Amino acid sequence: MHVDNLPAPPGTERDRAARPPVVTARGVTKAYGRTRALAGVDLQVRAGEVLGLVGHNGAGKSTLMRVLAGLESCDAGAVLVHGEEAPAGSAAAFGTVRMAYQETSLCPDLTVAENMWISSRHCLPRLGWRRAASTSVRRRLDEVFPGHGVTPRDRVEDLSLAQRQMVEIVRACLVDRLDLLILDEPTESLGPDAARTLYAYVRRLAEAGTAVLLISHRIREVLSAADRVVVLRDGAVTADRAAAGMTEPDVLTLMGAHVAVPSERTGTAHAATGDGTGARVVAELRDARGGGLHGVSLRIAAGEVVGLAGLAGQGQQEVLERLWRPARRDTEVSVTRAYVPGDRQRSGLLPLWNVGDNLVVTAMRGIARRGLRRIADERDVVRHWVERLAVKGGADAGITELSGGNQQKVVVARAFASTAGLVLLDDPFRGVDVHTKTELYRLIREEAAKGRSIVWYSSENAEMAHCDRVHVFRAGRTVAELAGEEISEERIIAVSFAESDEPDVPKEPGESGAPDRAAHGRTHG
Amino acid sequence: MNLRVTRSRPWIWGFAAAALIWLVILAISGQGGGQTLSLALSLAPYLVIVGLGQMLVVTAGPGNIDVSVAPVISLAGFASVAVSAGTGSALAGVLAGIGVGLVVAVVSTVAILGLAIPPIIATLAAGLVASSVTLHLAGGFTAVPDPGLRELLNLRPLGVPALAVAIAALTWLTVVLLRRTVYGRSLIAVGQNRRAAERAGVPVSRVIATAYLLSGALAGLTGALLATYIAPSADLGTRYLLDSVAVVVIGGTLISGGRAVPVGVWGAALFFILLDGLVNLVGWSTAAQNLLKGGLVLFVLFLAGGGDRARSTAPRLRRRPRPAAATTTTTGDNSDG
Repeated sequence: MHVDNLPAPPGTERDRAARPPVVTARGVTKAYGRTRALAGVDLQVRAGEVLGLVGHNGAGKSTLMRVLAGLESCDAGAVLVHGEEAPAGSAAAFGTVRMAYQETSLCPDLTVAENMWISSRHCLPRLGWRRAASTSVRRRLDEVFPGHGVTPRDRVEDLSLAQRQMVEIVRACLVDRLDLLILDEPTESLGPDAARTLYAYVRRLAEAGTAVLLISHRIREVLSAADRVVVLRDGAVTADRAAAGMTEPDVLTLMGAHVAVPSERTGTAHAATGDGTGARVVAELRDARGGGLHGVSLRIAAGEVVGLAGLAGQGQQEVLERLWRPARRDTEVSVTRAYVPGDRQRSGLLPLWNVGDNLVVTAMRGIARRGLRRIADERDVVRHWVERLAVKGGADAGITELSGGNQQKVVVARAFASTAGLVLLDDPFRGVDVHTKTELYRLIREEAAKGRSIVWYSSENAEMAHCDRVHVFRAGRTVAELAGEEISEERIIAVSFAESDEPDVPKEPGESGAPDRAAHGRTHG
Repeated sequence: MNLRVTRSRPWIWGFAAAALIWLVILAISGQGGGQTLSLALSLAPYLVIVGLGQMLVVTAGPGNIDVSVAPVISLAGFASVAVSAGTGSALAGVLAGIGVGLVVAVVSTVAILGLAIPPIIATLAAGLVASSVTLHLAGGFTAVPDPGLRELLNLRPLGVPALAVAIAALTWLTVVLLRRTVYGRSLIAVGQNRRAAERAGVPVSRVIATAYLLSGALAGLTGALLATYIAPSADLGTRYLLDSVAVVVIGGTLISGGRAVPVGVWGAALFFILLDGLVNLVGWSTAAQNLLKGGLVLFVLFLAGGGDRARSTAPRLRRRPRPAAATTTTTGDNSDG
């Protein structure tokens, strides 16, 4: 059963720094369109060390991981595996580098054993692979996650989220030779016990000579498990320190956060009074639970811009979903709504229509009389908005002929052209150029001044400065509420990483997966 | 022919093909062309009615299709003849036919939207229920169609069938529905991108349900009229399953949804009826006819989708494999004719 083999301990060297590097990144840059994800990263991962990688949203962690695993080529610079330059996508060079993904890479329709075949077939026998895979996956699961409750014949979609994560991690480990194991947020859906046994296993792997790259938002876990911590900020390594002796505030400072973690008091004081102006409340969530939320309360007053901040996927989009379709009793919305999706290709554009048709589709319902369109009025609305946002190409241009920024202007205008009293923004300015962004920020403030309410989820913390109030989310809860002067990128980062002392509530099985399966699922990037 | 004109008016092809077949028939038979045309115009409306319904369903987006039209036509035929014979009112008979179509469509719609069953399966199942009811009704069926309505359907002032004029008006109404009403625009939006339409505030489920109900009602109407024109029988609607989908596709409606071409249904229906006539004239079998039609549908789909995708140079269009997408619509108007 050679999939169980671990590399032999490399000699008796005690000094970790002297060990040979497994994977080296040299001046790696990578850009997606105009977005620069990596701006010259130098990084060495040495055999037998656990390296923690931390950084905020958009710092370039995911891109760096994909480059180090050979999944993505870099624009400039080089990736070296065992000292030799390795072209991206080369199975021979990156065969011993394995990665466990946060959003697992398992096929939901297949069994656990079959999934092992998919990723490790080169180390399984051709005949009897099923039994070989079953035996090794069971043995490894028992070793890493005692009491896991998974059998190799279970279909992946029947497993709970935590179990899927366990299988994903074990999948990455099952290979005849493992030089580098990349773990992306491995404990995000695991319970405390499973996390503890996982880190114990990671230590054993490292002692046997495997390098482990650990990416996590849980700074404390990184500090306790890693030998060395690397901080990534704006696509570059800004710090590379030994983990021993570092504290959580030290890391947060390196990441660009204000160290002062705000007390609970500041948060709740504002929550009780709204923005304090006593304006009419147009929407309210009262201790909303389920579907990824664990007790969220917020009120939105007329004319207010409320931001939803925090790390990606902590419940912000679920809140937008509640406000968009208030089906449950804990949500109350008293005005009409419009929605601006962030993923415009999937949930924004109507590709066969021109700019005008795309823009007016929401407003059309309000303009029409008894189901019949009033085309002249629609044209006026289109003309107004095309001029106001300076959409290039004009109303008659095909929507697919426009640049991304102009397409996004149309999608934003679609929502604001309607009479909706509450506009929901689902991270709509990702990948939009700075100039367009500035115009749209101004538009948001102008519309709010006219009495419209805006709820704005953004993965870019700097954008939150345009809000009146910001709720910072973590694990389906609001961990803080910032208002006015308090809103700053540093504060938001500090709050979103600050770990509460109460133990993490283990998530219900399959809970976080539910929104994806819902009829009008979420809009991921 | 100007290429740009044909691109923005996809319905031209159906009429062009119909004209071609008509000329071939003229050349072979040597009879008067007016008579052939008049006959075609008296048969085509039935196909147009059911085709318009099918078009609305297909426009609702990828995967949407109504395969229950054939059994609905047969069942509505029996039901309408029975009701009109029983009450003595032709109108009651026609309404009964439409009602039958609506009932079957309600079953399909509940299955599609409520139980999330794929439309092809849901309408197939609803159609199976309808056809078993048809078989039950067909045993010992003695009622005869209303003679007054039959006369009306055979009415041809100046050689132009009155029914054809009426159905032309219905087609025009469909054009108005798609261009000028909130419902029509919503349907086209849903067909282009269902998620985007939902986020834009379109009540997606209601829009799709309405499309299926309209298709059922129109298939029921076809059955009622056809049974009066010919005679009720258990396989009255059989040929209309393939034909209704074919005329929609050949007429220029996108099979992936988001663009409806009501006028194209007319051209394609005339083409099909004339093709039947030609094949009969030459003396081919029904099997050969169907082979020809099936081949034509595949050919048109290839032209609209496969060929176009291979030629497409704009990479952003490839993300969503959509036959004849924005490359063929230059005006951005999706309810051509």
